[in-house]
Amino acid sequence: MNPSVAAAAAVALAAALPWVAGDAAVNWGLLVLLQVTVAQSWNLLGGYGGQVNLGHAAFFGIGALVTRGLWVQGTPVVGALVAGSAAAAVAGLVVGLPSLRLRGPYFAIGTLAMAEILRIVVGTTLPEVSALPSDLITGYRLVPRYYLALALAVLSTAVVWRVSCSRFGMGLVAIREDEWVAETVGVDTYRHKLAALLLSAALAGAAGGAFGYYHLSFYPQFVFSPVWTFDAVLMVFLGGIGTVWGPPVGATFFVLLREALALRLTELHVLVFGAVFVVVVLTLPGGLVDVARVLRAMRVRRPQPA
Amino acid sequence: MARSTLWVSLLVLALAAGSAAGPAGVVKLGAVIPLTGRFASGGAQVRTGYEMAVEDLNARGGVRVGGQSLRVELTILDDESDPTKTVSRMEALAQQDIAAYLGGFGSDLHAAAAAVAEKNRIPYCGVAFALWGIHQRGYKYLFSPFPKSPELAIETYRMLNGYLPPDQRPRRVAIFAERTDWGREMANLWSIRSTEFGYQVVFQGEYTVGTRDMSDLVLRAKAAGAELVLAVPTPPDGITLVRQMKELDFNPKAYVLIRAPDAPAWGQSLGKDGDYTLLMPGWHHAVKFPGASELSAKHQQRFGRPADVLVGPSYACVQVVADAIQRAGSLDRERIREAMASTNLRATVVGPVRFRPDGTSPVTTVVVQWQAGRQELVWPRQFATRPLAYPATPWRSR
Repeated sequence: MNPSVAAAAAVALAAALPWVAGDAAVNWGLLVLLQVTVAQSWNLLGGYGGQVNLGHAAFFGIGALVTRGLWVQGTPVVGALVAGSAAAAVAGLVVGLPSLRLRGPYFAIGTLAMAEILRIVVGTTLPEVSALPSDLITGYRLVPRYYLALALAVLSTAVVWRVSCSRFGMGLVAIREDEWVAETVGVDTYRHKLAALLLSAALAGAAGGAFGYYHLSFYPQFVFSPVWTFDAVLMVFLGGIGTVWGPPVGATFFVLLREALALRLTELHVLVFGAVFVVVVLTLPGGLVDVARVLRAMRVRRPQPA
Repeated sequence: MARSTLWVSLLVLALAAGSAAGPAGVVKLGAVIPLTGRFASGGAQVRTGYEMAVEDLNARGGVRVGGQSLRVELTILDDESDPTKTVSRMEALAQQDIAAYLGGFGSDLHAAAAAVAEKNRIPYCGVAFALWGIHQRGYKYLFSPFPKSPELAIETYRMLNGYLPPDQRPRRVAIFAERTDWGREMANLWSIRSTEFGYQVVFQGEYTVGTRDMSDLVLRAKAAGAELVLAVPTPPDGITLVRQMKELDFNPKAYVLIRAPDAPAWGQSLGKDGDYTLLMPGWHHAVKFPGASELSAKHQQRFGRPADVLVGPSYACVQVVADAIQRAGSLDRERIREAMASTNLRATVVGPVRFRPDGTSPVTTVVVQWQAGRQELVWPRQFATRPLAYPATPWRSR
């Protein structure tokens, strides 16, 4: 099947989900789509540009807090989401301007430090739970939130696809492979990295905004939890790093397997999930998107019957 | 590539279709409890309470609904102490035709869970959280037969005044407020209630969860001449606090630390320094309410120790829900909610249960004290296994 046909079919199926399934499945779908955006945004900078961002949760968290704060006060959700996304991009600029000038692990350390500092500061200054008042709960509908998450997942995947076949994307890949060589052949490495970070932070902020709009009740500190960074990294590696389709496949597999096991195995599910995860990473180092190629290679190697 | 995306999307649909209704003739209850992660030890107690209650209920023939005896079936899911997972797993339970939710453990998980119950219009009975703020949001499906902050604040002073003659009371109070919504709520209520019982707050300071250094708070309380220390620390913070009070030789006559000393680990890690600590865990196995001693005996037989402090309240939750279903006479969630709101149960393991309009219940608030490495019930006096040990022996003479 042609990839674009398959992608269109997947989007159509996702769009049909609320019509055929109940709230639980829509909720799972929403979590998958949300994670697609988070993973895709990490993939853009980490997978294509080779810049390891260990503070992705900071962008997600800023987007979530800003969007939720504005939305609860009466701003239309789309406006609040744009503001949240912009705020995350500004944070990306603040951390990227100094740390992207350096090579080596400084960017990873800088982002990790920023996210942890933000998590602690938010936990100290906003210690009280952010719960929707009961009138907003009465009017709460899952389906619009689901479509918002779907739109963001499609948008982020489209952005990554567009970047992957552009001159800008080639520049990023050149930086990932060898930053000195990239610079020598005329790639403005600093600008490329900074632009990718801004795009990545804005998308992560938008995903956070969708979360802030979706979740009924959470402590502000929670959206800055390192879980949001590391789940994204895991999903990207699981699906296939530096590919357009890896993050969606990885996110779907990750979230659905986790939920399916949790429903059947009570507290053992964490153990089984970990084991399955290790097996997948060991057998498919290129990620789940590599499965077709690996299977084909196996078929070729098998001796033909006489 | 994109084909696999399609493939997994089909899987979502299959999963969605898979969660259909179960067999008729059972009452389904669903609980999402933290069984792994930071709240695992508390979650385990809650789970034990629910499971023992359901066993006992089924042994007596289950719940009578419309002239028919129905078995109770309890589905327990783990949320890994993560509120997002609490939400997604509660949504999954909602699709399984459950009659009511049973709650988990920990204020942040309860806050997320209660909101989901409200959205799904499914009655929710939860214990193991004292945060009163959750009940002040106008939720109609949230019920909690568990002492809340206002009762905890009042009973603190009532217990001290009940035991001590006026000239011996520790009237100078220091409050160490945790920088969380519950920490602030308790500090505020303790402060408001102090004057009417004849106490005076001489020092009040805030600290952040997970702090390594409380010496500033301790020294300032000491300088202010505090005789009573009030706080709601997490287990690690509570241990830090006691160790630093000892190091800095601050000897209050009494200290009430809610939450940290609930677990048996308190006595194990602090030894003699853990003694004299007062706690308000919500329940104690020595209370003389119908079924409490049987429950504790059964727990002793199974786990080698009397029932833990959260086992009783969780057990009572199932009693409350079963009673409401019986009175509703149907599995309709709206009717069960109405029946729960009009609960008037005399005989649960936490004593009589009725609900106020905000879903809280005027249940008995107990005060427990660590004495010689054991948790002894000191209040209410008619149930006390030991009298209050007062004043606390100074650290150096222990």
